[in-house]
Amino acid sequence: MSSFPIQIQLRESRTDVDASLLDGMAPQDLLVVESEWSAERSLVVQELLRNGVDRAKWPQSVHWNWAKKAPMLGMLESSGFGLVCENRWQGVMMTKTASAFARLAADKGKPLVYLDFLEVAPWNWAIPELGRSGRFRLIGSTLFWRAVQQSNEEGFHGRVGLHALPQAESFYEQGCGMTALGRDAAKQNLLYFELSRQSAERYLQTGDNT
Amino acid sequence: MANKRTMTLNLTDAEMDALEKLSERKDLSKTAVLRQALRLYQAVDARIERGEKLFFEDEAKKEKAEVMVL
Repeated sequence: MSSFPIQIQLRESRTDVDASLLDGMAPQDLLVVESEWSAERSLVVQELLRNGVDRAKWPQSVHWNWAKKAPMLGMLESSGFGLVCENRWQGVMMTKTASAFARLAADKGKPLVYLDFLEVAPWNWAIPELGRSGRFRLIGSTLFWRAVQQSNEEGFHGRVGLHALPQAESFYEQGCGMTALGRDAAKQNLLYFELSRQSAERYLQTGDNT
Repeated sequence: MANKRTMTLNLTDAEMDALEKLSERKDLSKTAVLRQALRLYQAVDARIERGEKLFFEDEAKKEKAEVMVL
């Protein structure tokens, strides 16, 4: 596993904090992630139930289990990236590089990095209904930036594709400059987004596509 | 980046021609095309080993054909 120093921010104070962005996560790392996150996940669910929060407002990745995704990292096309701060995994991402192709007309059929899963640690979830604002910010955007970088390293010119959970649609469209290309019946009717080569260039230059 | 090792690959003219065409069409180096092919072959093989089947679907013609993988 290789490590790269970065900074994220404490959400409340907007203070920069040193963190590490890690490449080449192994299946056993995801087991550690799940063991660190599952207790907090359970606490969040208990709070949601106790406060009678409408199910539609629950974090949509609340049922994810990274231990179950661990075997996928044994495949050549899958890569795992993580962000560590305060000696804990603050966010994790899995990408695929061979089984998805660009749908945007300009580069249709060309390879891209498919962002399979991206999640921040449950203590970083912002859940206004529970008065939770999340400890750190910039984790999702840092991991997304790494996916665009990976696409460049692979010779895919920054192209990235993904199916977004509804709560993440605006992040990918407005925050990352991805193009929405319709709902996909083969993927639980999730909205498919793609980052074009041009949008990727812009994103890497400015870190922003808004 | 993972460590990389070098190997020599002997291809027929037809195979090299196919590789060059794919390289141009996919906008990838020839090494990247072969790397992609290996990743895809491994992914398909793992799913076939689990008892899954590989299909190609033509939505317009409503046709679905199973691909035999050796």
